[in-house]
Amino acid sequence: MKRSVPFEIFRYAAIFAAMAVTLVPILWMVSMAFKPIGEWSATGADLTWWPKQPTLANFEFVFGHSTNDLIVALDHTALKPILSSLLSAVFGTAIAMSAGTAAAYGLSRFGSGQNLPLALIQLRLFPPMAVMIPVMIMWAFLNLNDTWWGLALIYGIVTLPFAFWLMKTFFDDMPREIEEAALVEGCSRLRVFTRITLPMMRAPLASAALFVFILNWSDYLIALLLTTREWVTIPVYMASLSSSMTGQLYGAKAALGLIAAVPPVIMGIAIQRHLVRGLTFGALKQ
Amino acid sequence: MSAVTATIAEGEMDARTKPAVPDEGARLGFRLTLPAQILVLFISAFPLLMQLYISVTDWSPLSGVGWWNAWEMWNSFANYTDLAADTRFWSALQRTAIVMLVCVPAEFLLGLALATLFADDFPGKRVFYSILLMPMMVVPAVAGYMFFMLFQSGGPVNDILARIIGTPVTIAWLSDPTLALIAVMIADIWQWTPLMFLILLAGLVGVPEDQMKAATLLGANPWQRFTTIVLPKMKTIIIIALAIRVIENFKIFDTLYIMTGGGPGVATETISVYIYKVTTQDLIWGYVAAIALAILIVLSIVAVYAMKRMAKAREVPA
Repeated sequence: MKRSVPFEIFRYAAIFAAMAVTLVPILWMVSMAFKPIGEWSATGADLTWWPKQPTLANFEFVFGHSTNDLIVALDHTALKPILSSLLSAVFGTAIAMSAGTAAAYGLSRFGSGQNLPLALIQLRLFPPMAVMIPVMIMWAFLNLNDTWWGLALIYGIVTLPFAFWLMKTFFDDMPREIEEAALVEGCSRLRVFTRITLPMMRAPLASAALFVFILNWSDYLIALLLTTREWVTIPVYMASLSSSMTGQLYGAKAALGLIAAVPPVIMGIAIQRHLVRGLTFGALKQ
Repeated sequence: MSAVTATIAEGEMDARTKPAVPDEGARLGFRLTLPAQILVLFISAFPLLMQLYISVTDWSPLSGVGWWNAWEMWNSFANYTDLAADTRFWSALQRTAIVMLVCVPAEFLLGLALATLFADDFPGKRVFYSILLMPMMVVPAVAGYMFFMLFQSGGPVNDILARIIGTPVTIAWLSDPTLALIAVMIADIWQWTPLMFLILLAGLVGVPEDQMKAATLLGANPWQRFTTIVLPKMKTIIIIALAIRVIENFKIFDTLYIMTGGGPGVATETISVYIYKVTTQDLIWGYVAAIALAILIVLSIVAVYAMKRMAKAREVPA
């Protein structure tokens, strides 16, 4: 449909305004991550929008190389929290994806587990805060508190609804002719699933896994309750980056925030096509 | 084939399953769904019973007895009567409702406006689209930290305001009860408008072009086309988008807690923040269990309703 010139002007103006609002908070953090301590918190007139003397000192600081400007010594560096975030998110994704994919196939092809769709949606609706008391007690009992594997287990369960629903819609959409042909050839149903269906679904599986990984990587509340010291994740560790001597370590936090923010943004753009499906539990496809 | 003997042995089961599904499939289906079933049971049945049990006692992790012995501290539903009289709980609930009633409509209207602008093709569309989606992919805790920095009294928000009005501005956003609440709502709207935009745009693209053209030929102006064709077509999608945001917004914690910690005082204390504080600071877990159960029951009703809506939406051809 041809649009009028004033409309086009209005459209670009509106989009640029929206992009400015979108980008300012992100760019402020990027800029802060490269600022030396003297430019962190200026008041009023001498507020620095862009680092005058860009530095990598903030990144060096969180990885343990102390700098002259910062008198504080870190309890431990950001390395282990990054490892913790990574391990718990990766293995949580593995748990959610394997249980979710298998169950989705079972329901999509054989009608098993009719209770799962509603049960899993309900699981997602509940605020994590409202089920954390029993989880904390159970995790303490199983010696899972403050471990990355304990986090991975709860992440796997919390994101199972997304893995299941995404894979279910992918399986529902998939043409069944090839599977049926293989069955006629004498393949067992399990072999059809593992040797034919799964390899064919490699791309959807990858998208779903990335989607689930983003969700796990983004967690804050669960890690806040279940990790205390050894295996705190990046967001929990970030909160500890302030001391009575220096106040908020703005630059260090921004550097770490940037490290935490980059992977999901890149992955999110990579799976843009499937975001709608993932976020609406497959109710909508793009 | 062994399937034949199995069919005879499990004749009853076969009668219940559809004829198109032989029992080999039924058994494989059962095995494939088993891990998910176990995980769901592991996180729902046992925790719920435990929660129910603890919720009628005064048990706390500091009480010196294991949770299974909590019956020694049976308090005959005092937690539930306390809850009814707990003004801090009710005001947290009220605050959660206020945040929701401001944020969700704002996100919806902004998202819908943006989606309308993106309905047809124009140069640069894909790049703009990717950039506008970025906030929802930023880790919420990190977004909370971004806005914590933005709203410092010497921060960029005040700097922009100062440039607009021409005099220095030193508003302490996060230490003022009203402004802190506004600040956390702005952060939520920033982060989740893209989600509304994304979902509503997917719905908008599904509106048939020929109907729009026909309406244009009949002399309908853009506003009439929007209200008589677009909105009715998008009804289910709008409901889904709103439902998702209402549910997620109700849980609001990460950004808010990092920005204000629920403060100043209790000025930004929403229900999740309230439960978190009672759990980790007051440690009265019996009481927390009662609050949690009350919330779970209400949300279960919502869940069933939302589920029915989504099932209905899936029947509509995309």
